[in-house]
Amino acid sequence: MSETNYKYAMLVDLTRCVACRSCSVACKSENDVPSGVVRTWVKEIEKGSYPLVKRHPMPMLCNQCENAACTRVCPVKATYHNEEGIVVIDPHRCIGCGYCMAACPYAMRFIHPTRRVAEKCDWCWPRLREDQGPPACVRACPGGVLTFGDPSDPNSEIAKKLLTSKTTVLKPETGNRPRVYYIGLDDEAARKVDAGGHGG
Amino acid sequence: MASTTKRRARLTPADTGVRTMELTTITNAVHGEAFGLAIAIYFYLTGLSAGSFIISTLAYGFGFEKYKPVGKVGVVLATLLLIAAPMFLLAHSGRPLRAWHLFIYLNATSPISWGSFLLSIYPVNCIIYGFFMFKGNAKMTKTFGLIGIPLALMVHGYTGFILSFAKAHALWRSSMMPILFLVSALVSGVAMMILVTIIKDKFFSKEGKVNEEVVFGLGKMLFWLLIIDLFLSLSDLAVHYFGELESHESAYLLLFGAFAPLFVGIETLLGKVFPLVLVSAPSMRKVAVYGFAAIIVMLGIFTMRYNVVMGGEFIPLL
Repeated sequence: MSETNYKYAMLVDLTRCVACRSCSVACKSENDVPSGVVRTWVKEIEKGSYPLVKRHPMPMLCNQCENAACTRVCPVKATYHNEEGIVVIDPHRCIGCGYCMAACPYAMRFIHPTRRVAEKCDWCWPRLREDQGPPACVRACPGGVLTFGDPSDPNSEIAKKLLTSKTTVLKPETGNRPRVYYIGLDDEAARKVDAGGHGG
Repeated sequence: MASTTKRRARLTPADTGVRTMELTTITNAVHGEAFGLAIAIYFYLTGLSAGSFIISTLAYGFGFEKYKPVGKVGVVLATLLLIAAPMFLLAHSGRPLRAWHLFIYLNATSPISWGSFLLSIYPVNCIIYGFFMFKGNAKMTKTFGLIGIPLALMVHGYTGFILSFAKAHALWRSSMMPILFLVSALVSGVAMMILVTIIKDKFFSKEGKVNEEVVFGLGKMLFWLLIIDLFLSLSDLAVHYFGELESHESAYLLLFGAFAPLFVGIETLLGKVFPLVLVSAPSMRKVAVYGFAAIIVMLGIFTMRYNVVMGGEFIPLL
């Protein structure tokens, strides 16, 4: 196997997010995502109750983990890190078994309703490959929430921001080494889920 | 203005008696479950197959002559169940016609990749083993029976690895999964052989008399296997319950949450504890009691597969 160069990273500055969902809409349009499923979305949690209340919008997209659980378990290697470190899916090889979905701690993957194979956000790999600029969500964001780039390039915006801000990732304990960094993430809000457990 | 500030400052969550701050989901996206009922059924069938194969080797591989009557029916069931089981995998898969991909694109770190070979070799070995058994070739039967035991253990043990490698779900990411699956496979396999012996002797033999030696012998085996199964299942649950948050929540779901009726009621009490009492009391050494115990054990293990697969996926991840 050739050496993978984890080139890109994404920085999400939540202090700037107004939960407009432009990223989600742009992604739907760019990637022809069918209705009923999403590759990227804004999870929004309201914390507290009136009058002490604060909303936490959190754009969610594939973390392109360096140590990805999904690529490890795919029985046919249909999902893998490409030459620039982005986790992609070969739709012609995928058998739609759903094992990658079961392994992903971020629940990013879904079965395409008509193609019946696994799909997820690939940071608009076709755009990157054709040198057509950053992913559609980054291009569409009106608030400058999303910064995309190569953190190993010291002159890049993302390198400067990653150096000067306090960042965190989602569920660091999984050991997946995700490459989406958040500024101002509320861990409690990020982990809030809606069914099961303590009736949460 | 000042009074508003004061009022706001006073209304901290601690003052309102709420332990943690109230969290309300405004929007979130939840994708469909990865596995489902078909996978639970698949796990159940491979478990029954592995269990009945191992029982059939008691006589033909290890020389426990009294279990000879269940040897043949055991291998036939093991083969048929293992031919039926992968059909549920195909039904679950989005692209079943691409199943051949599994044999040419391999991934050493994926248990499903191991399984595609185990699921092809194991039934072939079952057929060869059965062929020599029906031909009356004791030596070859023993050879293929002994080859089949590690295969049977692997073909079911690997399904445990499928779940424990799907690390997203707290209930699954446990090294207990493969061993727990193997023990419950033996439990359900022995229960099925008790039931099959009763049905076979009662309705398909000339005398219509049930071979009690086999039924009570298997019942004794069931007793010990149920004790091991209960121990493993409860120790797994205890560690989850006192573990990190996601583990705790998954154990809570089974013990007190939405899955409590299935897990506590059907799987543990009806499917394990009650039959354990039935087969341990000397006063109830009756064929009918053992037959009933076998039925509820099989129901209990099916519920166990359902609880593990569906319960593991029940709590959303993000």
